[in-house]
Amino acid sequence: MASDSDADRKIQLRVSNRKAYVWDVEDIATLRAKHHICGVLTGTLPHLSQQNVFLGVPLVLLPEEVVLLVEKQLAVLIDDPSAHQPASAEALARWNTEREESAKRQIAIAEAERASEKAAKLSTSEEAIRKRKEREAKRAAAARAKALAEGLPVEDLSASTSNLLIDESRRPSTPSKSAPLTFNVTIPASSSDIEWYNPEAHAYSTLESARAAGVWDYPTTSFERAKCRVFQDLWEKGHFMGGGIKFGGDFLVYPGDPLRYHSHFVATVIESPTAPLTPMEVVAHGRLGTATKKSHLFCEWDERKQEVTYFSVEWAGFG
Amino acid sequence: MEKHPSYANLSPYLVKYPQVAGALFQTYNDLKLAQQWTGLEIIDVPSCSRCALRGSRPNTEEPLSVVPCSLSESLSTDWIRTTFRELGGPPHVYLAINTEDSSIVYYKISPGIVKPPL
Repeated sequence: MASDSDADRKIQLRVSNRKAYVWDVEDIATLRAKHHICGVLTGTLPHLSQQNVFLGVPLVLLPEEVVLLVEKQLAVLIDDPSAHQPASAEALARWNTEREESAKRQIAIAEAERASEKAAKLSTSEEAIRKRKEREAKRAAAARAKALAEGLPVEDLSASTSNLLIDESRRPSTPSKSAPLTFNVTIPASSSDIEWYNPEAHAYSTLESARAAGVWDYPTTSFERAKCRVFQDLWEKGHFMGGGIKFGGDFLVYPGDPLRYHSHFVATVIESPTAPLTPMEVVAHGRLGTATKKSHLFCEWDERKQEVTYFSVEWAGFG
Repeated sequence: MEKHPSYANLSPYLVKYPQVAGALFQTYNDLKLAQQWTGLEIIDVPSCSRCALRGSRPNTEEPLSVVPCSLSESLSTDWIRTTFRELGGPPHVYLAINTEDSSIVYYKISPGIVKPPL
């Protein structure tokens, strides 16, 4: 197990089940802007959970991207499950206290809000009651005057009107249905701030050490090795790469940032100079490339000469 | 096949490379008669076990190289590399892929990373 002293300077790739994830937004930006490695965002956005056109952290990297970053010493592999160490009793107590205090704070704020709302409501209903009393008083006075003019007994009227008034004030106020006060529990997306998360003690700065520890084992076959070398060659030439599944290849090759450009090439990796290549593959790849306004690249890896040779294929346009 | 007008030109090569005889015959006739290419010549490429053809498309001067093969063959990038070398390093080579029902499809192969036409 290698604990790297500058593991915090290199980008931390958090490996779980042989997949490398980037959880920190600054690292995702650095990977793209500085190292022209794009990856794919795969996390659900909490506020837009019913769609997957827009996704958030974590970023997932192609295995070839991981191999390149580690070999170029730009990143380290973190054994993420092991980095989440069991929490001590004290740490758990601290975490619990923090949560309780956050809940109490939120409830206090909610209670204060509710009190001020009620106060606001009461003032208007007081107003209404006062106005209603005034109106009743006026009506009673008018009725009394009328009764006097017509010679009717006054006592009955005043009693009945005063009864109305008493009934008004005796009416119990409508009980407000108060909902139980709620608070939010925040679950952070990244483990970086958790006290018992210790990535530095579980970091691997070379592929060999990660393979020995059983954390990362790509590439294993000669085809996987060829894919890594072709990816590296294209990367060193300054291209941006993406996954090729949508166009029937191993990689998509962009002249610049995929946010600005469509890819020009679909790349297929040829394992060796003597690996069998059927004319049907030439037709299938070439035709699809031409139909999508791209060129298809056959990228041959020569293990003996340690170099990549490219052939571009497109439909002839006649015949 | 022997009675066909093209047979005279092709006969030595059809005998020399029997496995690709059908592909050569088909491609030669397609280029000459259907595609109407001019200045068609046959080039022996022993290291690829076949012949290549060179000519120009109608109303053009630029010579293009065509290598016939059969759909059932197994090629490799080494084979493509050899083809380019034996033909004197042309900017591109057209692979003429022939099928049993006499369909032909042509694919342009260029060395290096060549951007697609706009």
